[in-house]
Amino acid sequence: MSSRATDDEPTDSASTSTGGSAPDAATPETAAGTSTSEGWSAGRQSAGDRSSGARPSEVQRAGRSGSGGVEALLRFQSLFGLLLVFLASVVFSPRGDDGEIIFLTSENLFNLVRAISEIGIIAIGLTFVILVGGIDLSVGSLLGLAAVGSAVLLTEDDFGVLAAVSVVLLAGLVFGLLQGAAVALLRVQAFIVTLAGLQIARGLARLWSGGQTVPITYGSGAGQAPLSFSLLGERTFDGIVPVPALIFAVLAVLAVAFLRGSAFSRHLYAIGGNEKAARTSGVPVNRVKIIAFGICGLCAALAGIVHAGQLNTGSPNAGISYELDGIAAVVVGGTSLAGGRGSMMGTIAGALLLGVLNNILALNTVDTDLQLVIKGLVIVAAAAAQRLWPSR
Amino acid sequence: MSSRTRSMFAAVCAVALLGAGCGTTSTNAGAAGGGPDSAEVCDGPGEEYTIGVSQANVAEPYRVRMNADIRRAAAEVEQFDEVQFLDAAQDNSRQVSQIRTLITKRVDLLIVSPNEAAPLTGVVGRAYNSGIPVILLDRKVNGDSYSTFIGADNERIGRKAGEYLAEQLLPEGGEIVELRGLSGSTPAAERGRGFRAGIEGSGIEIIATADGQWLRAEARSKMAAMLKAHPRIDAVYGHNDPMAEGAHLAARTAGRAEGTKFVGIDGLPTPSGGIKAVRQGRLSATFVYPTGGAEAITAAKRILIDCESVPRKRTLPTQLVTRENAAEVYRRLNSR
Repeated sequence: MSSRATDDEPTDSASTSTGGSAPDAATPETAAGTSTSEGWSAGRQSAGDRSSGARPSEVQRAGRSGSGGVEALLRFQSLFGLLLVFLASVVFSPRGDDGEIIFLTSENLFNLVRAISEIGIIAIGLTFVILVGGIDLSVGSLLGLAAVGSAVLLTEDDFGVLAAVSVVLLAGLVFGLLQGAAVALLRVQAFIVTLAGLQIARGLARLWSGGQTVPITYGSGAGQAPLSFSLLGERTFDGIVPVPALIFAVLAVLAVAFLRGSAFSRHLYAIGGNEKAARTSGVPVNRVKIIAFGICGLCAALAGIVHAGQLNTGSPNAGISYELDGIAAVVVGGTSLAGGRGSMMGTIAGALLLGVLNNILALNTVDTDLQLVIKGLVIVAAAAAQRLWPSR
Repeated sequence: MSSRTRSMFAAVCAVALLGAGCGTTSTNAGAAGGGPDSAEVCDGPGEEYTIGVSQANVAEPYRVRMNADIRRAAAEVEQFDEVQFLDAAQDNSRQVSQIRTLITKRVDLLIVSPNEAAPLTGVVGRAYNSGIPVILLDRKVNGDSYSTFIGADNERIGRKAGEYLAEQLLPEGGEIVELRGLSGSTPAAERGRGFRAGIEGSGIEIIATADGQWLRAEARSKMAAMLKAHPRIDAVYGHNDPMAEGAHLAARTAGRAEGTKFVGIDGLPTPSGGIKAVRQGRLSATFVYPTGGAEAITAAKRILIDCESVPRKRTLPTQLVTRENAAEVYRRLNSR
């Protein structure tokens, strides 16, 4: 886990100078923002210290000396925040019977990644939409619709696994594309369109399931799902790695690779930075927006399939308020809700950070009520840190 | 961690001497396929125990009260030094991962009030098979990988509500409406089915039903619409007290509260609960749906401290609450 993050650091710092940095069509505004940012961050170090707990002073020194890894950490402060929370978790973790650190047991770490895999998959999709300055509130309901769809197709309609998964993914893609079309072509605000989408998807989920939770039973008979679908609830590699965590990891790698220096990603940043300027400089704004929403819908549908496979049910009430958790992961990851600034790597770090936080609080016998308060404060702190200490 | 878990670990290692070894995961604890062996989990009164409570949703007053009952009962057992409450906020996925964390933590006992049966069956079984006793409250899981289930019988309560309406409130028959719990939820199905069995053969006719989602506000707006559609409504059956109260509010706004009777279920002994509503005359009757919180701690004490076995199922009795006995029931439920 942590080793993977460090493996990615060098490539990250490379990406900051290409896909991650302000794109060609950057606005004067963002350019100005980056130039003042360095002065700001130097001046605001102490404030940053207070907001993020204890920031080791050697980091500041290292930052000045400019060694690659730490430089990247400083730039990607969501990764830095993740590292901070991770280390704190190691320190504050309860100890097992033989003195082992429970937080660091492979079982716990994989549980943690599995627990945020659905939110993480959603957040990856959301990043595309938020980068172009949009928002998608429908993803939670879409997850529910996809979960119900998977369950109904597999059991009542006797679809094969591939057929069911394809239909559900396609449905999610189409749902997203339609929302994107409404946003781009009808010029309705994304908030409104996807708020409507949230209701529509939830209603469809309830209609499709008859308002009842659809159980998935496995077997070869009629009305039973093929056994291969239950793989989603299993663990691979000698029963160590949960499949949902694996799917999240693979998708994360794909998304990071996809957003690295491709023309599409430059278009995303350009539109988010300044839509008018992007339009005049020949970026196919409408098409890019529609595709971004399509990807988001696709990811939500994938999360729904994972949800159904993990729980062996398609519940019409699945995924309520997941959109907010997904948005929280994106924001903690340093992506600006105004669009044009942020990174996929940040989103993944943000999702993991929230997962680590959930996990360590539960391990330390903190009740959920207090957890909510602490999580809220962390989100605010992370967002404030973006302002005080811009990642670029 | 407590010395208790350490000694338990030693016991597990002794059991697993045959080459299984002591891994870092807890999967090799406990007898495979079987539940926790009472000799393993029970360390008597000389130890301290950690209990994890996984609650489906604390947005419902009933479940808040359940947690309060657990907390209060646990406070009286000095050996239960840590009781941790986790709220899944009506989300199956969240509840599964919260229980997984509690397993990783190796709590000494789990109290689970499942959000839904099927999705939680796997993880509850995993806890039970890894040697952690599991007490289920209010809702079951599939299969039988748990120590004990404590809950009331929704269908029976629904039937009693129907019989009360048919025999006491409207012996001449009448036209009533039903405000159902969230569509798809098991208690809603059971309370509806039982009620129909209770009014069977009487002159009572259900002229309209609506999904009030267990919520007062939702029931109020649904009732307002039904009042417009039906000039005559003799009584309202709410699947829970908040919905019956919401219906009462709507009827009062429409000036029709006087001629209508309201019956709910749950009878929470809280200031905003159904027993007070009966006492203050807004509801004609309610039926106590016990939370089982205190009973769960009693069972936990028997498993961990007294080294006794507990019955696999315990059905809690209900009680009709009318204006006559409301004050007395309220007092009794709060003095336990």
